Amino acid sequence: MAYQFNFAPVFANFGQLLAGAWITVLLSFGAMLLGTVVAVVCAVGKSAGPAPVRWLINAYIEIIRNTPFLIQIFFIFFALPAIGLRLSPNVAALVALTVNIGAYATEIIRAGIESIHKGQVEAGVALGLKRGQIFRYVIMKPALRTVYPALTSQFIYLMLTSSVVSVISATDLAAAGNNIQSKTFAAFEVYLVITGMYLLLSLAFSALFALVRRAAFDYPMSR
Amino acid sequence: MNVFKKAAAVAAALALLAGYGAPTARAQTPDEIKSRGTINIGMLVDFPPFGILDLEGKPDGYDADVAKLLAEDMGVEANLVPVTGPNRIPYLLSNQVDILVASLGITEERAKQVDFSQPYAGIEIFVVGDTGVEVKNADDLAGKSVGVARASTQDTAITGMAPKSTNIQRFDDDATAVQALLSGQVPLIGASNTVIAQIDQAAPGRFDKKFQLRQQSQGIATRPGATEMMAYVNDFLTRKKESGELNALYEKWIGAPLPDFVLKTTK
Repeated sequence: MAYQFNFAPVFANFGQLLAGAWITVLLSFGAMLLGTVVAVVCAVGKSAGPAPVRWLINAYIEIIRNTPFLIQIFFIFFALPAIGLRLSPNVAALVALTVNIGAYATEIIRAGIESIHKGQVEAGVALGLKRGQIFRYVIMKPALRTVYPALTSQFIYLMLTSSVVSVISATDLAAAGNNIQSKTFAAFEVYLVITGMYLLLSLAFSALFALVRRAAFDYPMSR
Repeated sequence: MNVFKKAAAVAAALALLAGYGAPTARAQTPDEIKSRGTINIGMLVDFPPFGILDLEGKPDGYDADVAKLLAEDMGVEANLVPVTGPNRIPYLLSNQVDILVASLGITEERAKQVDFSQPYAGIEIFVVGDTGVEVKNADDLAGKSVGVARASTQDTAITGMAPKSTNIQRFDDDATAVQALLSGQVPLIGASNTVIAQIDQAAPGRFDKKFQLRQQSQGIATRPGATEMMAYVNDFLTRKKESGELNALYEKWIGAPLPDFVLKTTK
């Protein structure tokens, strides 16, 4: 192989890559938080809501989980303006990622909720806990603890999926890489560097998830 | 065969190569070409839709059709010779082809080496947008969003001339940039005349051209000093522009009418 590596154009534009990586972090982190809220609401609705609510949530989950993310983001960016809803590229990307992760996380969290034994809730009632307290401490916390590994690996996958959002001209890490590559033609070097950056981001998110697990869920099981 | 006969044969072969190897393409005047019965025309085959290879591997495209039209006009066979971007002018200057119909952009530097005809094709790029948006020049782009295909000529042009406060949104290709314009995500995009023709078809009257970013005329080229041939080519182009045949070919391949600056430049 006689390829001459030339990283100079990549490092000359490194500021653009850092700015793109920051957008990727914001988009991923925002979608994780908002998506978890969406998922908890939908999971409770699906487990305990009236029939029409359950049907709606089921439709949402099936549509999102059985269509490509690329099409979902095109729909939000290019089709919604037709009914008067115009979002800027980065906001559209955040909405698309939230809607997407929301559907996957709903099913994960619902599995956690259904793993809580009925007797545990009855024990909470017997102890005189209020409804909110039962929901928070007796149902949600152990449920989230059970599904935490599945949920966080879905979050990492979400961060990697966010590399697609450059198709609607959002300015994430992949878009910054594409811009530099199309100007300098240093495809090998650019994609090698952003591959490394995505890997670092994944590891950083994993480390953050481990810290959260220790802070929130590191209590002894009582069995 | 003795040594002398062998040497003589080699010498004869060398003489053929050196002096008479390619005499057929040396015709300088239309009369010489007509008496020979074929015209050797150099064209690109890697520049769609102007020059391509068809399914049988033969040159095709707008340039091929113009070349065939010229040969037909002279009453001779067209011999289409595939050339490449870097070697097309050397092919002409070394007499391997008679003329070039090779999407050769008319530039001052090239005009020092070859003679150019009046333009026979052209590409223009514009900023286009909603009819309601007031933009007359690059400075008016301040504070506005403009969509472009990443790393396209229009990206380079707009990035170079737009004020800092312009929000340039880079999409992966022309189709996505057009989609963003049609859906109202961006009020303006940079696009070539061929793309603008498609936009007008999709949404007649919604958008208009704001200002021109660049234009490029392509000419037919001959060797310097081939004045009779050049006069013939210019006369041919003027006649075919008037008859509408050139425009029809352009519509067939590019899907848009010949730009005005091509149609109206006759010499």
